[in-house]
Amino acid sequence: MNKKSWIQDLKAIPYLLPFFVAYLIFTILPIFKGLEMSLFDWTLVRKMEFVGLENYKEMLGDPHFWRTLWNTTLFVILTTPTMVALALGLALLANIKTKLQTFFRSSFFLPSILSVAVISFLAIFMLQPYSGFVNTILHSIGIEAEPFWMADKVLAWVSIVVVTLWWTVGFNMVLFLAGLQDIPDSLYEASEIDGASRWDQFRHITLPQLVPIGRVILLLQILASYKVFAQILLITGGGPGGATRPLIQYIYEVGFRQNNLGYAATMSYALFFILLILSIIQLRNQRLEER
Amino acid sequence: MSEPNVEKNSTSRTEVSSLLEINRDPLRKGKLTVGFIVAVLFILPIIWMLLVSLKPNGYSTTNPLDWFLPPFTFTNYIDIVVDSLIIRWLFNSFLVATITTILTLILTSLAAFAISQMKFRYKNYIFIFFLLGLMIPGEATIIPLYEIVKSLNMLDSYTGLILPMIASPLGVIILKSFFDNVPKEVIESAIIDGCSNFKIFYKIILPLAKPAMASIGIFTFIGSWNNFLWPYLSILSENLYTLPVGLPVFNATYSQAYVLPMTANAIASIPVIIVFLIFEKQIVKGISFTGIKG
Repeated sequence: MNKKSWIQDLKAIPYLLPFFVAYLIFTILPIFKGLEMSLFDWTLVRKMEFVGLENYKEMLGDPHFWRTLWNTTLFVILTTPTMVALALGLALLANIKTKLQTFFRSSFFLPSILSVAVISFLAIFMLQPYSGFVNTILHSIGIEAEPFWMADKVLAWVSIVVVTLWWTVGFNMVLFLAGLQDIPDSLYEASEIDGASRWDQFRHITLPQLVPIGRVILLLQILASYKVFAQILLITGGGPGGATRPLIQYIYEVGFRQNNLGYAATMSYALFFILLILSIIQLRNQRLEER
Repeated sequence: MSEPNVEKNSTSRTEVSSLLEINRDPLRKGKLTVGFIVAVLFILPIIWMLLVSLKPNGYSTTNPLDWFLPPFTFTNYIDIVVDSLIIRWLFNSFLVATITTILTLILTSLAAFAISQMKFRYKNYIFIFFLLGLMIPGEATIIPLYEIVKSLNMLDSYTGLILPMIASPLGVIILKSFFDNVPKEVIESAIIDGCSNFKIFYKIILPLAKPAMASIGIFTFIGSWNNFLWPYLSILSENLYTLPVGLPVFNATYSQAYVLPMTANAIASIPVIIVFLIFEKQIVKGISFTGIKG
């Protein structure tokens, strides 16, 4: 019996091993490596001296760390509610039974599959002052203003938020759409007999039924937004004057421009814990959903 | 028309209810108009990009409508193909995304098969260990990952781009739950027929899991195609850039001239747009599937 189970263990190894090795080296090991790096002076070339918790002390007193962490948080605050509302609105439109349904769904989703490099440069070229597509449209409908979208703090944030919504809302729309289609028709039919209006139905059937999927979308969105980096780097470069620079960009600059991987790993750890807490909340929420 | 009459009517029920819906929703026209305008606004930048790429090089205008009217030409595409590294980057992106997808599918399906169908010690612990990966954000471990890949001498190489991306815990979880649902009788009768484990995996389980494999495959491909941060850090040679890393380098050399950058962007986008239009249904299904589970 014992011998047999030993043979069974052996048989499973070739199936598990390839995934296990890749997972261990590239997913698990970096967590420990990161801890090690955060305790050292560590340059792009090599490991220097052990500094204990110096990097952590530096982080807590570093205004750039707090500023960029705040910028990332601001991005989360600006995009999350707008994203959920827009996704819901688009899902309701895409759920109308009409010949245009496929057109609606494809159009709302299409930007999501484009590369971040493409959507960023579309944004840059469309938002160019004087000759950009957006400003020339403003001129042609009689608005004489010449907004410099990337040079003003508020406008830069507006640009980033709008571009991000446009780029990623399709994914969330599809999740809402799945939620809408899971609502049993019988609920609507029953309320129709009771003489409920469309608005009543929306408030008392559609919205409450969408709460579970809405919660999933909300948490996924917060989690994803805390990782923001590429579109900001490419659209505003973190400017003007660092006003839109997110934490991951600062981590990148410290590590690769200032040649200080140890400190970059330390700040990555801070980000790691924020994201870890968020994803524990998210997974727990999802487990509740499945019950 | 009162409700009971509808039920007796010989027309099919769905048709009637959709007719009813049209009659009952006074805002339908308004909603469709809003939907149409929003849908057009959503694809307008993409259409603009495609049209600008067809304009003669150096074209410039202050009237936004001009972009949508002739003259059009294909010469930019030829210029880009001949004079820039864009085609090379396109090839790199395609190669990396394809190999990443194939390896991800092989690794995750093998591991999911073992966990779903085989008996061995510590199985639950191993599965929980894989589940932990869901909570580890790649963005927050990228600096140590860089060091690890460096010490493996894989920086600035295809291998270094591909290998760190192939162990997807989400893929294992999705496939495991799919494999769990394969009827026991099917597998038992295969065992009685003397099928080996691998034959059961290859001949029975995998064909049944095609939809899940397709979803994971499409998402891995699109994810890899669009991945920015890792290639941005790990690739130094221009020859090895993927499109998302190479495009900004190319575009940055143009600030006011629109035509060539937009051609480059169009070349980068047309393949994924085609993939999307072909696989739209699977992609949409896959999102509701993976999004909710993961």
